[in-house]
Amino acid sequence: KPQWELPGPEHFRGRKNRCYKLAVRSVRRAFVKSTKARREKKRFLRALWITRIEAASLEHGLKYPAFISNLLKSQVELNRKMIADLAIYEPKTFKSLAALAQRRRQEGFLAALGDGKEPDGIFSRIVHHY
Amino acid sequence: MFLNSLLIGAAASALPESHLIVHRLVAKTSLTSPPWPEVKLPDPVEEAKYHAEVVQKVNEMIATGQYGRLFAVVHFASKQWKITSEDLIMMDNVLEAECGDRIRMEKVLLVGADDFTLIGRPLLGKDLVRVEATVVEKTESWPKINMRFWKRHNYQRKKIIMNPQTVLRINTIEIFPCLS
Repeated sequence: KPQWELPGPEHFRGRKNRCYKLAVRSVRRAFVKSTKARREKKRFLRALWITRIEAASLEHGLKYPAFISNLLKSQVELNRKMIADLAIYEPKTFKSLAALAQRRRQEGFLAALGDGKEPDGIFSRIVHHY
Repeated sequence: MFLNSLLIGAAASALPESHLIVHRLVAKTSLTSPPWPEVKLPDPVEEAKYHAEVVQKVNEMIATGQYGRLFAVVHFASKQWKITSEDLIMMDNVLEAECGDRIRMEKVLLVGADDFTLIGRPLLGKDLVRVEATVVEKTESWPKINMRFWKRHNYQRKKIIMNPQTVLRINTIEIFPCLS
């Protein structure tokens, strides 16, 4: 006989939507799962944005780590949700962001190479034996 | 010893043209050239001219009003939103403003139109962009259920959480031609 219960499990499968004992257990599990999922949703969405940004930046010839690190080095603080939304709805803006990241990357390479000279007090030569 | 014999052999065979062969001062190893392809940046003077031209063109476009719908990326309530005019935004917290108050959003990260975008590093100036919004309603969220349960330990806690929410309507986004 149906005792008092919350109007919860109407859309569940099988006898869980009819029998009180089974319904109580399944509703309790549903609540617990939803509380845990609310914390996982943030991780899941961030992974989704990262995948989207990676796909979009590969279309412009950049890899995701290069893209993100160069954007951060050029002091553009858009978060991943925004960059993913821009890549979907504003392709021209995303292309300009990718070009900015590429340019900053090249400047970083040039800065890393330095002068091309050897440090003081050190020289290296090939020895020719004739 | 192996290298010595190689060089001796090369010198014996190519001795007449030895003054044409360029001898490297440093041996060519895997570390002589960097693993990335060599890149040449454009001339800084020409680049400065090109930048000034582009900035002037964009200024003209803004001044004459040749843009359609503007979108902006705004940092608000510890989140970033991509907004246009006539947009609704819902925040999961309380704003100390009554319903019907006009609010000006500072902290604009990006403004864009069809032909140009202005990217802030990290923020755009307040004299460049103006984003206006109105508080539409202040409600509570739907009752979310927080439940913890350990099996076989007779432990369950149930809590109903209703967050206060605020709904904002973005009225206008304006840009002014004061680039430099």
